[in-house]
Amino acid sequence: MLSEINFARFVVVITTSFLLASLAFSPASWAADFPQKGKAIQVLVGFAAGGSSDVGARILASGLEKELGTSVLVVNKPGASGQIAYTTLTQAKPDGYTIGNTNFPSSVVTYLDPARKATYTRKSFELLALHVIDPGLIAVKKDSPFKTLKDVVEAAKANPKKIRISTTGFQSDEAFAILQFQKMTGSQLAMVHFSQGIAPAMTAFLGGKIDVFCGNVGDLLSQFKSGEVRILGIMDDETSPFYPGVKTFEEQGYKLYSSSSRGFAAPAGTPKEVVDILSGAIKKVVATDDHKKRMADMGLTIRYLDPSQYTKYWTEYEAMLKELLPLTKE
Amino acid sequence: MDAFQNLLMGFAVALTPQNIMFAFLGSVLGTLIGVLPGVGPVAGVAMLIPLTFQMTPTGAIIMLTALFYGTQYGGTITSVLLNVPGEAASAITCLDGYQMAKQGRGGAALAIAAIGSFIGGTIATVALVLAAGPLTRLSLEFGPVEFFALIILGISLLMGLAGKSMIKALMMGVFGLLLAMVGMDPVRGMPRFTFGRMELMDGIGFVPVIMGLFGLAEILVNAEKQFAQVFIAKMSSLIPTRKDIRDSVWPILRGSAIGTLLGLVPGMTGSASSFLSYIAERKVSKHPEQFGTGRIEGVAGPETANNAHANGAIIPLFTLGIPASPTVAVIMGAFMMHGLIPGPFLFKEHPAVAWGVIASFYVGNVILLILNLPLVGIWVKILKVPYGLLFGVILAFMVVGAYSISNSTFDVMVMTLFGVIGYILRKLDFPLAPVVLTLILGPLMERSLRQSLEMSQGDIRIFLESPIAMVLLILAALFMIAPTFKFFRRGKGILSGKEGA
Repeated sequence: MLSEINFARFVVVITTSFLLASLAFSPASWAADFPQKGKAIQVLVGFAAGGSSDVGARILASGLEKELGTSVLVVNKPGASGQIAYTTLTQAKPDGYTIGNTNFPSSVVTYLDPARKATYTRKSFELLALHVIDPGLIAVKKDSPFKTLKDVVEAAKANPKKIRISTTGFQSDEAFAILQFQKMTGSQLAMVHFSQGIAPAMTAFLGGKIDVFCGNVGDLLSQFKSGEVRILGIMDDETSPFYPGVKTFEEQGYKLYSSSSRGFAAPAGTPKEVVDILSGAIKKVVATDDHKKRMADMGLTIRYLDPSQYTKYWTEYEAMLKELLPLTKE
Repeated sequence: MDAFQNLLMGFAVALTPQNIMFAFLGSVLGTLIGVLPGVGPVAGVAMLIPLTFQMTPTGAIIMLTALFYGTQYGGTITSVLLNVPGEAASAITCLDGYQMAKQGRGGAALAIAAIGSFIGGTIATVALVLAAGPLTRLSLEFGPVEFFALIILGISLLMGLAGKSMIKALMMGVFGLLLAMVGMDPVRGMPRFTFGRMELMDGIGFVPVIMGLFGLAEILVNAEKQFAQVFIAKMSSLIPTRKDIRDSVWPILRGSAIGTLLGLVPGMTGSASSFLSYIAERKVSKHPEQFGTGRIEGVAGPETANNAHANGAIIPLFTLGIPASPTVAVIMGAFMMHGLIPGPFLFKEHPAVAWGVIASFYVGNVILLILNLPLVGIWVKILKVPYGLLFGVILAFMVVGAYSISNSTFDVMVMTLFGVIGYILRKLDFPLAPVVLTLILGPLMERSLRQSLEMSQGDIRIFLESPIAMVLLILAALFMIAPTFKFFRRGKGILSGKEGA
């Protein structure tokens, strides 16, 4: 009799502890105490330490540390235009302790291009926020005959594939912008791809080997100040504070918007509560004065989009690249 | 006086406590690597690149270049005192240096070598300062078309001076080019030879390949050798006699000129300079028969030449972005790891880095002079550490270094694989220098060729329209034809430093 009661009590204790244990490991209870103190959050960056993606991520990470109360570590996994880091990110445990930097165009191009055999798609990312944007621009040397975008278009129409324009690679934001511009205006330019970065493109441009320079807002700050170059247009819906007096493409009648942009994502399957905590924290950090000042010091333009806005932007961007990508391989 | 002002700015950078420390660190490590017979300058620089990832670009390049010319000092010590060249460029110093040491004049030999090295290094640096100005102005004339012609010239020079076997050198050059083909096609965007590995999309990593081919392979080869205990000659007074100094003045000046000029030529190694200087000294001497019995000229000339060469070899890298020797190719790799592209644009875009590094050459040479003379005894003691222990430590260091390149074990595997390949190639007596040069020049050549053709929309005549490119291409053609003539063939062995004197 006595032993039976003991047995029943034993069963109850065991079942309860199992229930408690399973509760403790369920996603819902993670969310309640996410992030745990002392458990570090990793931010994967697919580009080398010291580059502008890395710098932006590190500034944000230091703000997130204060906001989330745990350490936030930037881990660089450079290579294959970010594909190595995107693969690692999308295959990580979706518990919120691994998030990553997602750049346009690389994060989209890498899976749209079948030759790259990427293991992920848009659906593999749970988007957290967009935080930085670097709009495109085109420029000519100060002694160039081109004064406006229209001059370039007319020259390119009169001499198809004779006006030389630089890009930083066949799958760069410049290349996609030029393809769009050509489609829009019915002109044809001779694209020269400087896939090893902006410096050699600049040498060729300043040396007069390239007629038109296509790059980003961050590229020509000192040349603009010294008056060596003339910026013909900025591919954004607003003018840039770095280039007073320079018109956008839109203002000159060309509806072209292009930029390289940087955001953050978690692996798909991360619990909703965790995503909300992370994206909420990013939103708060981005709005602080300290963050704004530090980003401006590094020449980075803050542009915040929340998860739903970022998702919409991603979908539109993907649709545009799907159309343009076959053109890069012609 | 533009160059002078820039140099002063460079000193402001080079003389910060942090950068003096990096120059010191590089000098110490360089001397150490020079002293150790198992490790040469290419392997040394390759192994230490990962160590510089956390440094500023200026600090990193200052340290690696100091390490490079530091090995030339270190190599002398073992040549003179042990009759074992610490590295190839000091091999010729054994002939007279060790004889001097046996006669109790080792101290004087080392002192003259150190002073000569200092003067040689300084003269080559002055040449760099003078060359930088005009070449930088010329830099904007260099677009993809001219750059392509320049690289063709670089590759042709290497092949013309291939050493013992032209066939083997050409095979290795092509092997390097094949390795350079791996990765994303720069225009079409198709992955080539990547075998489905994402890690190969950017091409085979330059640093792990070099670490394997030179560092790991060198250790493997040396691990087989028995380093017998050699007679260590007694150190004598470091102060050379008045006659020694008098006899050394001209050899040092001639050595400076030979080293600086040969340093400029792509494909030349430091040993070519020291051999040529030795031969020149023997030719002008009134007592050529006494060479090999302990003539100070036989130490002063070559030791000056190899240091002038080390500093001179930096000139084409800084001004044109062309690596003139394997070690400089590795240093170029280090530049690129830090996001800097060596070449004319370096002076324009990153003047503080370029001039800071140049000024640091003076700082480093002074440090080496101070470091070497009084501390010779300590360096020799290091040779008493058992090689098993030393190699183990170096190997562990290399694995950690390779991993840290991009936090991936893939690079460690690449390094190991190329260590084995390098070991086999060495055993079969294939030269490894052509691999490095074509591996680093190959992608640059391909990109500039394709950019040129993009500019002309496929018209090959674009290379004929540029006068600079034409001159460079004609020079390249001459260098490629040269080896078929007997006259040039005769000199070849000496220049490549393979022929024992």
